Amino acid sequence: MTIVNYDPRLVKTKNPYPKGPNDWKRFFSFNTDAKVIGIQYIVTALFFLLIGGLLGMLIRGELITPPSDLFDPTVYNGLYTMHGTIMLFLFLFPILSGLTNLLVPPMIGAPDMAFPKLNALAFWLVPVFSIILLLSFFVPGGPASSGWWSYPPISIQNPLGKVLNGEMLWIIAISLSGISSIIGAVNFVTTIIRMRAPGMGFFKMPIFIWTVLAAQLLQLLGLPALTGGAIMLFFDLTFGTSFFRVEGGGDPVLFQHFFWFYSHPAVYVMVLPVFGIFSELFPVYSRKPLFGYKFVAVASFGITILSLVVWVHHMFYTGTPMWMRNLFMFTTMLIAVPTGVKVFAWIATLWGGNIRLSTPMLFCLGGLFNFIFGGITGVMLATVPVDIHVGNTYFVVAHFHYIIFNTIAFGIFAAIYHWFPKFTGKMFYEGLGKVHFALTFIGATLNWLPLHWAGLLGMPRRVASYDPEFAIWNVLASVGAFILGVASIPFILNMVSSWVRGKPAPPNPWKAIGLEWLLPSPPPHENFEEDIPTVLNEPYCYGLNKPFVEDEQFYIEKSLIKH
Amino acid sequence: MNTKIRRLKKKNFSNTFIIIFAVVLNIVVSLLMGHWSYSWLPIQASEAAHYVDNLFAFETSIGTFIFLGCTGTMAWILVFNRAPKYDESNGEPLEGNLKLEIIWTIVPLILVLAISTYSTRVNYKLENLGSKIKYDFGAEVPFVEEKKVFDYGPIDVISRQWNWEFVYPNGIHSSELHLPINKRSNFRLITEDVIHSFYVPAFRLKQDIIPGSVITYSLTPTKEGVFRLRDAMFSGAYFSQNQTNVIVEPEDVFNKWIKETVKKEPQNGLNPAGRLYEKRLKNGNRGWATVKPAPDPKVNEVGSEARPHDS
Amino acid sequence: MLTENQNLSLNHKPGHVKHDGHNMTGFIIFLCSESIIFFAFFVGYSVLKISAPVWYPAGINGIDIKMPLINTVILVSSSFVIYFAEKYLHKKNLWGFRIIWFITMIMGSYFVYGQYVEWSELTFSLQSGAFGGMFYLLTGFHGLHVITGILLMGLMLFRSFIPDNYKGGEMGVESVSLFWHFVDVIWIILFGLIYLWQ
Ligand code: HEA
Ligand code: HEA
Ligand code: CUA
Ligand SMILES: [Cu+2]
Repeated sequence: MTIVNYDPRLVKTKNPYPKGPNDWKRFFSFNTDAKVIGIQYIVTALFFLLIGGLLGMLIRGELITPPSDLFDPTVYNGLYTMHGTIMLFLFLFPILSGLTNLLVPPMIGAPDMAFPKLNALAFWLVPVFSIILLLSFFVPGGPASSGWWSYPPISIQNPLGKVLNGEMLWIIAISLSGISSIIGAVNFVTTIIRMRAPGMGFFKMPIFIWTVLAAQLLQLLGLPALTGGAIMLFFDLTFGTSFFRVEGGGDPVLFQHFFWFYSHPAVYVMVLPVFGIFSELFPVYSRKPLFGYKFVAVASFGITILSLVVWVHHMFYTGTPMWMRNLFMFTTMLIAVPTGVKVFAWIATLWGGNIRLSTPMLFCLGGLFNFIFGGITGVMLATVPVDIHVGNTYFVVAHFHYIIFNTIAFGIFAAIYHWFPKFTGKMFYEGLGKVHFALTFIGATLNWLPLHWAGLLGMPRRVASYDPEFAIWNVLASVGAFILGVASIPFILNMVSSWVRGKPAPPNPWKAIGLEWLLPSPPPHENFEEDIPTVLNEPYCYGLNKPFVEDEQFYIEKSLIKH
Repeated sequence: MNTKIRRLKKKNFSNTFIIIFAVVLNIVVSLLMGHWSYSWLPIQASEAAHYVDNLFAFETSIGTFIFLGCTGTMAWILVFNRAPKYDESNGEPLEGNLKLEIIWTIVPLILVLAISTYSTRVNYKLENLGSKIKYDFGAEVPFVEEKKVFDYGPIDVISRQWNWEFVYPNGIHSSELHLPINKRSNFRLITEDVIHSFYVPAFRLKQDIIPGSVITYSLTPTKEGVFRLRDAMFSGAYFSQNQTNVIVEPEDVFNKWIKETVKKEPQNGLNPAGRLYEKRLKNGNRGWATVKPAPDPKVNEVGSEARPHDS
Repeated sequence: MLTENQNLSLNHKPGHVKHDGHNMTGFIIFLCSESIIFFAFFVGYSVLKISAPVWYPAGINGIDIKMPLINTVILVSSSFVIYFAEKYLHKKNLWGFRIIWFITMIMGSYFVYGQYVEWSELTFSLQSGAFGGMFYLLTGFHGLHVITGILLMGLMLFRSFIPDNYKGGEMGVESVSLFWHFVDVIWIILFGLIYLWQ
């Protein structure tokens, strides 16, 4: 007996936040409840997606015509630097921390995170460094304008010679973001290692937990290197040291190693939880067990380990010696193997299933489709001769937006829709969700597919103006970007109005298997409180007649009781 | 009993047929894409271009095969495995299959090995990159003995924020890069300020220029024409203006150009960023901070910004 | 909680395990991560040193090793001393713990003092090329950790006067002691890199 149909009458009851004051003010306070913090993260991050998207559309507005006519080139440089920074550090990392906060404790049956106060601290650092970063728009000389890599020497040129400058605020913001992420990572890893429900061995954890663990370990191993590099950059910029300044015998390429030693693994920090989301959702909406659970789980760690030894693929043309280029080309391409294991497992999960194309599933399928494409262009970039041609062109920009927006953002949208009923207690509007998906898919494809050709033909990235032969691809891309802007309207509409006046959600609207679905919607303050279930099997046994937890019926009925 | 087996066999047969058909179709389309991919790239104007394009076509074919294989399967599932509206039953409960797992670990591994072996070979074939020597920045750029064979050079490629200057062995300074066709030319890549990148899409070649290091580099142009040379490593405010032309000429034309240019008096060379900056100052210096562009280089050959390029 | 349906009951033992021992786990994870920053600096130092055309600033051919060596001996021995403080605490000998613990603090403070004297006698500065920057960055960043360690020890010393402070375990003392060993190990590597490898 795996799934029990709920009694619809029970669901009609009102379901306020149990055991916690049901008022919106707690979202604006130093609350230590992981579920509150999760929502704080997600809403903040979505706000910055809107800002980052706005900057993205300004960039596309400039690039719709070849000359640099909308902004001065200096302004353009600041815009794309801030776009990249905001999207990564103010949108993507926070929103993933948010989903992790929401999902990890309920999924492993823990009442909260291991260090709730630190958890709140990690969140409240986000508005702090966000404000610092945004303030840099208003300092004399404008914000940081040397790209999100902040490579010296341009990043330490400091044309106005002032101590307070955009670049300095940028470094401070990034360092604070790093501190926030490290606190978060310590917290997540400790929670996952120490607070799992009885019976939940490592090979009974949901895949999302596996991917979070793999991703957060990467944060712990990689981020300090970037922090070290950032400290040295800060000294060079502000105190006139010469770590990277050639005039005093420093080496600018050293910074590139520090930067990519972290920032390459960072891309897997971003994508691994999305792999987790895919692995959670495909079984639910095709009503089949996850194909090859153990392989999918272990593949995450294959990716983690490999990703620590590939960073030089961002530096193939910096004068890296031949043996190093060949070595790193090979390690980079090896990542395709564990990733392939996952991709094929998802497709096999879909195979012969009973597919239901609801909004979360559509975003997952769209995300997987785009990921295969973006992964393949990644492998092309990994081959040195091809990278030497297309490196630093729009081919790279297209590659990573195919993953970072067309896959990761898709996965995040899927997750938001899928777990929306669980954590808000309200159902969303399916129709608006589908409109959102259709517009997003069309806009994203139109935005990023054509730019591959611009890159292949040799259009460099980070240019405010370009030769007219690239115009056609850029016009298509800009139209796509504006469609993406429009696509945010149904999304915002859906989220806001569903949360305010949507239908109350039952505990398990998708008939999914997983500890979080045994909780009421929304879950009470301490999730399972005193009665933590004992896990018997991994959570994907659709149709297998394997019970998931001991006394499943007890929890199902308990979750239906009104508080 | 018998009829059931026969029906199963029939079903198996038609399944096999569909799979074979799909794989063949996929191979055909993938080969076509590989063929097609040449047209997505600029003119092949150097020795390297040919190798790079072949590698790219090879990857496009493999990539297309994998992409269509995966997404085709997904499309098939979406057409034939959709749940009817009120059907909430479970699908076939397949938990995994060891044989399949092994196959789809080994096959990508082999593909990856094939691609990396191929491109390692191309790497060794091209060997454009020579030595990279650190020197005391600000002092004289040291002379670097290039050990690899070349026919012409070394030409000093001097990059700055934001213009290019080329200095030939006989002392000519030029704002455009003239090269003799089918000769392996050697360069010393030098920057006077930040990191730049020497990138000629038609040559499929790119090399960063690192402050404090002098890098030697060789390439062989194989096609006459005018090609864009673009800075490809972001170098500050007027980065997008940091472009010039490479002119590939037959040897005799090139030699004639060398001889005639020596006689020309040095004058101000190409510096579009300088012009833009002057305009900005005239308009009240609005915009965010930037370092001042380097002054116009003094060159014997000014060249022309308006010259149409082939790619 | 089960207000309406009291007859619902579990037929297994309540599953909630009390998890109090997270602090140490978290702290160890944090230290592992922290060590990577030092690792990054060490790698940076080595790379710059190996590839630099000129390494020491003009007029300097190396640094004096005598004073730092005394410092090193003191810091390394304090790592043993702190171990005995912990031992005393385990044996519930509070005063023994306090005294030895305080001696560790003094040794740490002497290290910081020695570092200060050394700095003030040096003829190069933070701005003296890559070497100058690296030297002050490494010793300074490590010094900050030593000072943090001493402050934490002071806090633990203060807390040892709170009655019943060790009822729930000696987590705080154990963590600080672990931190101190960490600071010590980092110094040994640092000493090797900067002073021995000249
Ligand atoms: C965020 C997520 C993300 C992810 C997951 C990836 C995944 C990959 N990336 Fe990407 N990448 C970025 C984000 C990401 N990237 C960003 C942001 C940049 C640019 C940063 C900047 O410059 O600003 C970048 C840049 C970048 C470069 C540098 C280009 C340059 O600057 O010159 C390279 C080069 O090797 C590369 C390679 C790869 C590879 C090989 C993968 C692989 O992991 C992909 C593996 C997946 C697949 C291959 C598909 C599925 C597999 C199969 C179906 C199996 C069979 C397949 C084969 C046998 C091929 N990426
Ligand atoms: C997460 C990362 C992320 C995301 C999502 C995006 C999304 C987009 N990006 Fe960007 N981008 C980067 C990360 C990202 N980008 C990075 C790292 C760089 C490199 C920078 C560098 O070179 O230094 C870059 C560079 C970059 C360039 C190249 C600039 C250059 O090299 O000159 C361009 C140009 O087209 C571009 C455009 C866009 C566009 C049009 C989108 C669109 O997809 C955006 C669409 C989104 C919206 C329109 C907003 C919708 C809002 C909502 C749905 C929120 C709803 C809100 C609430 C409920 C409150 N980006
Ligand atoms: Cu952690 Cu109970
Ligand atoms: Cu990478």
